[in-house]
Amino acid sequence: MSSNDKEHLHPPAPVVDEVSDFEVLEIAVRELAIEKGLFTQEDHNQWTDYMHTLGPAPAARLVAKAWLDPEYKKVCVEDGVKASLDVGIDWVNTMPTKFGTPSDYCNLRVMEDTPTLKHVVVCTLCSCYPRPILGQSPEWYRTPNYRRRIVRWPRQVLAEFGLQLPEDVEIRVVDSNQKSRMIVLPVRPEGTEGWTEDQLAEIVTRDCLIGVAVPKPGVTANGKRPVRPAVNPYKH
Amino acid sequence: MSKPHYDREHHVKKATGIGDPQCFKGEAPAARFKVGDKVRIKDLPDLFYTRTQGYTRGAEGTISRLVYESPPAEDESWDNTENVEWFYSLVFDMQELWPNYPEAYAGDTVETEIPEHYLEAV
Repeated sequence: MSSNDKEHLHPPAPVVDEVSDFEVLEIAVRELAIEKGLFTQEDHNQWTDYMHTLGPAPAARLVAKAWLDPEYKKVCVEDGVKASLDVGIDWVNTMPTKFGTPSDYCNLRVMEDTPTLKHVVVCTLCSCYPRPILGQSPEWYRTPNYRRRIVRWPRQVLAEFGLQLPEDVEIRVVDSNQKSRMIVLPVRPEGTEGWTEDQLAEIVTRDCLIGVAVPKPGVTANGKRPVRPAVNPYKH
Repeated sequence: MSKPHYDREHHVKKATGIGDPQCFKGEAPAARFKVGDKVRIKDLPDLFYTRTQGYTRGAEGTISRLVYESPPAEDESWDNTENVEWFYSLVFDMQELWPNYPEAYAGDTVETEIPEHYLEAV
């Protein structure tokens, strides 16, 4: 038996072999809360189910509607919570808790881009994010790296995302530090004349709604990824 | 001896079905500033908690919108919801906030929200 065969006899390593201190803490607090009757296991299941099935589709729909209807766009900019009702998001009543969570307040602001003004959203103090309308935040949005650099070097950070803005476009970094949550209403790109609401909603990706990308015809979240041949393919 | 009673649910009772910050609407005294006013952020001492970023302190900004009424986070974190005040959305020039921000991008700005008691007229 070669040494190579021996390695194969090891039992496979578990996918997660260690539980972090924070996970232990979360489980302990949750179990104590259930035992004390603050909430039930069903409440917890309902809440996690709600949180994990949210996504950016309603916000993309909101942007597409605003592009097509100038009156609706005014409502979006004036009162984002009211505008959200038209895309099926009730900031107050759809939450299992019926008023948002302590970290997701019920105030949405829709930041309207113009050809000379580009908004980008961050939460420098923690990672506030309009979860009811945008789902869970991407991992990079929560990193200190993004949070501390985007307010200081916005052009360089956007360039890292592949978004290089010309000098005549002003950047406005929106730091979501209190009870408002923000999404960006980007400029409708050229080449989308005569498109339907469904077509427009497809090109409004999550990154466009945070502000680190701009919508482009043909670029969608569910588009086909390019498949490139391997550099050193395995020879059978 | 009776156990002291703390009303831990007063916020839940108030906000359910209405929303937060909507549930504080109409409770703040009249707003001291209006859209377009130039204000400076006071560098107030904070005990344990604040949501007024270090980088805004001492900087001058312009009010772009009165956003809502709410107790400041510095109070609310200790369950004190008595001092409801107006919150303002402020726009700061990047050049006001950071040293050596490039002249070519002088139009770049930061927008963020600050409660009234941090603001002083310039």
